[in-house]
Amino acid sequence: MVGLGFRREFAEEMISGTLISPDFIEFAPENWMNIGGYWKKMLHRVVEKYPVLCHGLSLSLGSPEEPDSTFLRYVKSFLEEYKVRIYSEHLSYSKCDNAHLYDLLPMPFRMDAARHMAARIRKVQDYLQRPLAMEIISYYTPVAPEMSEADFINEVVQRSGCQLLLDVNNIYVNAFNHQYDAKAFIAQLPLDRVAYIHMAGHEQVAPDMILDTHGHPIADPVYALFEWTIQQIAPVPVLLERDFNIPQMQDLQAELTRLKAICHQQWKHHELVA
Amino acid sequence: MNSSPDSRVLQQRFTTHLRTGVRTTIPGVAPDRLAHYRHAIFHMVKDTMESAYPVTCANIPRRKWDHMVKTFFARHACTAHQVWKLPLEFYTYAVENSWDEVYDVPYLSDLLAFEWAEIEVFNMEDVAPAAFVATGDWRETPLVLNPEYRLLSFKYPVHQEAKRARLLKQQGAWFVLLHREPVTGHVQFTGLSPWLAFVTEQLAAGITVKDILEYAPQLGITVTVELEADTVAFLEDMQRRQFVFGFRP
Ligand SMILES: [Fe+2]
Repeated sequence: MVGLGFRREFAEEMISGTLISPDFIEFAPENWMNIGGYWKKMLHRVVEKYPVLCHGLSLSLGSPEEPDSTFLRYVKSFLEEYKVRIYSEHLSYSKCDNAHLYDLLPMPFRMDAARHMAARIRKVQDYLQRPLAMEIISYYTPVAPEMSEADFINEVVQRSGCQLLLDVNNIYVNAFNHQYDAKAFIAQLPLDRVAYIHMAGHEQVAPDMILDTHGHPIADPVYALFEWTIQQIAPVPVLLERDFNIPQMQDLQAELTRLKAICHQQWKHHELVA
Repeated sequence: MNSSPDSRVLQQRFTTHLRTGVRTTIPGVAPDRLAHYRHAIFHMVKDTMESAYPVTCANIPRRKWDHMVKTFFARHACTAHQVWKLPLEFYTYAVENSWDEVYDVPYLSDLLAFEWAEIEVFNMEDVAPAAFVATGDWRETPLVLNPEYRLLSFKYPVHQEAKRARLLKQQGAWFVLLHREPVTGHVQFTGLSPWLAFVTEQLAAGITVKDILEYAPQLGITVTVELEADTVAFLEDMQRRQFVFGFRP
């Protein structure tokens, strides 16, 4: 299954399904809950057509403070209403001192933070009665680390029992920006916990910095890393994220087709088994 | 003894810097990358405000506007999970902190209220109307209104005018009705006289036109045949425009 992030900019095209036809869609509950009128109608139409996965933005499970219980209640009923198959969030935080910052901020890779985050994930999983798939974010600076990123992730996954959302572009970007080997990094992850994959484009903005823009086509080396990665894991849904600089639908469809071909090639054994 | 602060303190330092720009040093954090985060976040907040408040932003000198957004984001703890609701917090913050006077833009809160209301009415959750029938007596039957609306009152006619000098000359009592068309979801704007604003408010409370007209003299309004005819003509027009849905069965 290869899906596409649902956006208002190409909602009509996705609903009509002539130029673009993903296997599923993904969107952030935050962008669609408690909304009526025109966009609620559009949401209903697209949800009738495609299976839905949700990708949360503001749970901020790495925050010092407790998650907002009113918001969680909304999320729970939203996930039920739209029969959402996977709900993912981020190994990150976006809120501190009760103020939202609307960005995914890098966690301090430290044992106290890992334990704290794992406890929060467990709590939310218990409440929602489903596992969370936690995404490894792209980040631009470490924050007082006392352990490696991979150890941090392993600690959180082990303690919380959460699943992983592997954003292959994020890992490519991080490996470049923090000068490590992407494959070696992936090999250290608990790959049996991967439930979902993201793919996206990036932009190199300085000799030593790549930005995770979601505004460009997927780069060839990220396809290569994807191809290598999926050989290490069992088949999971793969999503193309495109948030800015929206191209022609044919171009997006070509990216979906290319991802699908790679999945088919690398996972054909599994497909036969299934 | 471990003297290094715990992660919570590091996160507080990190985010305080991102919001306020107050200098901080955190082990391992590269200053240029910290600046990148601060810039990206501020850009996003500013962009959100500029898309929500295009008229306000165009109406205020750029440095003043940037200062407003910076002050808001640094001093106010944003609570909205949904970014599209963040502009409401900006508007509320402006009112609470008397920005009309502080920034010497006397019509600022009117303008923000007006622009926010459009977003709010466009996005508001669907509200089911009461049961209604298409025909009835305009004077005697209680009307069923489109529940998806906001009635706003302003000191300045920000719905008609954007120029500072002209706005300031027209201080008074202005009323605007915004409602959402059921099928298209478009937001319609209607400027109302104080009388029609009063009528709308009363109709929404279930009072009939007849009772409103009877009460009018207590407000110092002389009811004439003309006023009555104009009131009904307004309601007929608003039925065509899908603000008046019909009559209570
Ligand atoms: Fe992602």
